[in-house]
Amino acid sequence: MRLLVLIINRFLWFFPTILGLMVITFTISHVIPADPVAFVAGDNATNEQIEALRAQLGLDQPMHIQLFHYIINLARGDFGVSLYTLRPISEDLASRLPATMELTIVSVLVSTLIGVPLGVISAIRRNSFLDHVVRIFTVSGLAIASFWFAILLQLFFAMELDWTPLQGRTSGWGPEHVTGFFLVDSLLSWDLSELRAATLHLILPVTTLAFPAMATIVRFTRAGVLNAMNSNYVLYEEAMGFPKRVIIWKYILRNALIGTITQIGLIFGILIAGAVVVEAVFDWPGLGYYAVQSIIQSDYNAIMGFTFVTGVLFIIVNLLVDIAQVFIDPRET
Amino acid sequence: METLRFLLKKLIEDRVALLGALLILLLIFTAIAAPFLATFPEDIAEFHPPNRLIAPDGTYWFGTDRMGSDIYSRILFGARITITIAIIAIGVSVIIGVPIGLVAGYYHTWFSDLLMRTSDIFLAVPQIVLAIAIAQTLGPSIENIILALSATYWPFWTRLVYAETRSIQKETFIEANIALGASPIRVMFMHVLPNISSSIIVRTTIGMGGTILTAATLGFLGLGAPPPSPEWGRMIAESREFLPEAWWYATAPGLAIFLVVMGFNLFGDGLRDILDPRIRRSVRHDE
Repeated sequence: MRLLVLIINRFLWFFPTILGLMVITFTISHVIPADPVAFVAGDNATNEQIEALRAQLGLDQPMHIQLFHYIINLARGDFGVSLYTLRPISEDLASRLPATMELTIVSVLVSTLIGVPLGVISAIRRNSFLDHVVRIFTVSGLAIASFWFAILLQLFFAMELDWTPLQGRTSGWGPEHVTGFFLVDSLLSWDLSELRAATLHLILPVTTLAFPAMATIVRFTRAGVLNAMNSNYVLYEEAMGFPKRVIIWKYILRNALIGTITQIGLIFGILIAGAVVVEAVFDWPGLGYYAVQSIIQSDYNAIMGFTFVTGVLFIIVNLLVDIAQVFIDPRET
Repeated sequence: METLRFLLKKLIEDRVALLGALLILLLIFTAIAAPFLATFPEDIAEFHPPNRLIAPDGTYWFGTDRMGSDIYSRILFGARITITIAIIAIGVSVIIGVPIGLVAGYYHTWFSDLLMRTSDIFLAVPQIVLAIAIAQTLGPSIENIILALSATYWPFWTRLVYAETRSIQKETFIEANIALGASPIRVMFMHVLPNISSSIIVRTTIGMGGTILTAATLGFLGLGAPPPSPEWGRMIAESREFLPEAWWYATAPGLAIFLVVMGFNLFGDGLRDILDPRIRRSVRHDE
């Protein structure tokens, strides 16, 4: 019963949070000092043309009316048109979402598959040489600027050694479109050259993105395992003569991983934030690249659309993690 | 005084934290002494096109950039920008975030919920994304970067102070003060705040590293100070069209960012171990 109340409570807060997010993006987008309408209209536009465009974009109405329309439109999935291309922003964002999702999901998988075992091993062999190496590794992962790391990787592996492509998602046209995920699509159409190209193109961006995420996972797992190793139930199992291997991989790991799983929301945030920069460096045609293009073009409508979609994605992931946490570890709530 | 000596002693024992402290001191020293340390201090504003893109040598220690300016000198002056942004942005975040957290933690009303939910909404968007949106609408400048960072970072302190206030509230000495008739303001600022200050200090130290990283990212994306400002992130962005030939161009500013962020993270970790033994080792600064 208490669990049910908690879950319903989390759900009930979902909509006010989204509404608050809308108010934030509205506030940011309507206090801009520069006049976006004059920018779109160009230097040669007459005053009448500017006013007509302003009316067309609905920017001539009072603030509260604008906010009302803004919220209604966002709720319908209408983010307005790009001030630069005049194309609907929701279409632009939707067509770029798979590229970012593919990059993010592969990065989560890579960072978890490497991070969890590293964390466990460095906790078991605390203060060993290996533990110190892992620590230097994780501390670096949290301190390095991802745009710099990305450029270094390009410099060595793409430009000097020519092992990987420099940028982009594929060297050809991309596999036949089904899901928008190149790895999945190339497998579905059994296009092995596209699969190879997609994999090669993923290596450097994923390395850049996964490095800080992995560092976070290693730290959480290590702390979780150390914590569990000192707990009463482990002492009990040791006293009962369970083999050490069983205790570590069965009991300790299970409890330590709870902490790691509940951090997926945080890690997803790191990845989304990192994707903006990583996509910009690698010309990866996803949401982040779109956001950076929009910054260059002063397309504030598009940036607000990106901010809103990212926020909603992030809120949904955190909601799912919250609910998962209630089920996985009722002690925490 | 006694506490300070204890802190220093612990710090010297923890060599990693000491390394962090030294890196921070190096940053502060560089920022202050930049005009004396720089070999070409006038290169912050002056261009020498004939000298463009010279590899590191005895004259130009870290090489020259696309304008023929000395990268070493520009890095030194860039330290000033970095430290200014970090100190002001974090300062404002603390000044906004801590009182809100105190009030929300101290009172148990709908208003507390409202404050915390507002901070949750700000935390619901990744910091860098919100900062990009704000910095972009305001236009590229150092002031706007500071504004964008302050507007996105305050909820971290609100969350922390809220949780700490709630947990310390049940302590006898707080209840005793209330029973003796101390005003809420007095209890909050004279009794609660000093007792949670170590968590705030730890959080602030680690937050500095994260803020510097975010500020450099905004600079890299072209949202920071306009050229010819020697902002580290912008220098790396400029270097991209001259790769791979001018390999030195991005190396020095990237290393500078790395060492500074590393310094704050290591020092923050050490402080946490000393001041707050309950929690071991930080997780990523922008959690």
